[in-house]
Amino acid sequence: MIGVGEVVLKYPRLCWLGFAMVAVQLAMTETSYAAPQTFNTALPVAKGHFVFREQFLYRKASDDPSGADRNLDVLGGISVLGYGITSDLALFGVLPYLDKSLDLTMPGGQRSTRDTNGIGDAQFFSRYTIFQQDRRGSNFRIAPFIGLKLPTGEDDKGDGFGRLPQPLQLGSGSWDPFGGVITTYQTLNYQVDAQVSYKANTEANGFEFGDELRFDTSLQYRLLPRKLGTGVPDFLYGVIETNLLHQAKNETSGGNDPNSGGTTLFLSPGLQYVTRKWVFEAVVQLPVVQDFNGTALEDDFIVRTGFRVNL
Amino acid sequence: MDFKTAGKHIVLTLALVVLASATLAAQPIYKFHVDGLACPFCAYGIEKKLNALEGVERIEMNIKDGVVVVTMKNGSALDEAVARKAVKDAGFTLNGFERLSPVSEQ
Repeated sequence: MIGVGEVVLKYPRLCWLGFAMVAVQLAMTETSYAAPQTFNTALPVAKGHFVFREQFLYRKASDDPSGADRNLDVLGGISVLGYGITSDLALFGVLPYLDKSLDLTMPGGQRSTRDTNGIGDAQFFSRYTIFQQDRRGSNFRIAPFIGLKLPTGEDDKGDGFGRLPQPLQLGSGSWDPFGGVITTYQTLNYQVDAQVSYKANTEANGFEFGDELRFDTSLQYRLLPRKLGTGVPDFLYGVIETNLLHQAKNETSGGNDPNSGGTTLFLSPGLQYVTRKWVFEAVVQLPVVQDFNGTALEDDFIVRTGFRVNL
Repeated sequence: MDFKTAGKHIVLTLALVVLASATLAAQPIYKFHVDGLACPFCAYGIEKKLNALEGVERIEMNIKDGVVVVTMKNGSALDEAVARKAVKDAGFTLNGFERLSPVSEQ
């Protein structure tokens, strides 16, 4: 009988590459407080006030170019708390809870599962508005941000087959700085957000994820109410977002892994219901381009749903 | 209802109307625009900052025109600089501050 631990040795690509992009894409998201659902915004957090966000996700990846018929399911809950130090400077903390499960066919033909769950790596970052132009019924902002991913998730988990491969661990074990810039243009009828960011992953446990460069855009268009009356009515937005991610190759034992890294483009339609105090939202991320190196497992879809509340 | 009872009701109603009018007239009301206001979630941030000011009794907002109307408690006043700072702390820009009532005290 061949165990999963042996599969790791026989098919290193399966265990290392199959999750590499998944781990990266889980870590890179959910750092937002406002409008877009898959990344951040430049809209303000009021001075001295908090904004809380909870997002639930389900990710399925089963498009396996290898013969192992891998099937990856990830369930997660990502909590985000934002605080306005001033109207221009805001601090954010992000804490994920993840449940990952991988099914695959062993060389002997039997199916096996390796899974893990628990707190993942936390992130803290600050965002500062360097440009703001307010007009009647619209605003435009530019806000750089800088932050750090902390190794709060367990990075040495194992099961009956031995230590889990690094990408399946809840945390990377590394301290990874990241930064970028967000711009937002908001009117009463629609909102456009764009973000470019870079994350420099560092080494831990003899493994280093490839650095990540991403570019995100979001358009939210007010569907309801069609015409604005008096007061502050609830808004229903139709949402379309894009997420372009490029990840460099991973490094292990001092060398590049030729079967890691690549480029992904998601197209993400969704809805967002906005009240004065609450936001309820849902989006489906559909991969339209997946240009991975080697035999990495490709995504089927990601569903994100959740809420935000003005505290 | 006899004539005497009806007369009492009319007098009482008039007295209440006069009293209510006097009370309302004594409450300062301010109106200003908030530039940049474009969604309900952001409106709440402004409302929170204004509600935290001393003497504020009621806030009405019209997101379409970006108009905020603040009704103060009796004997309270809203200083423009204070209102401007509250709006700025919420992340937006105050524009066109004016006192609607009672005008004579302005």
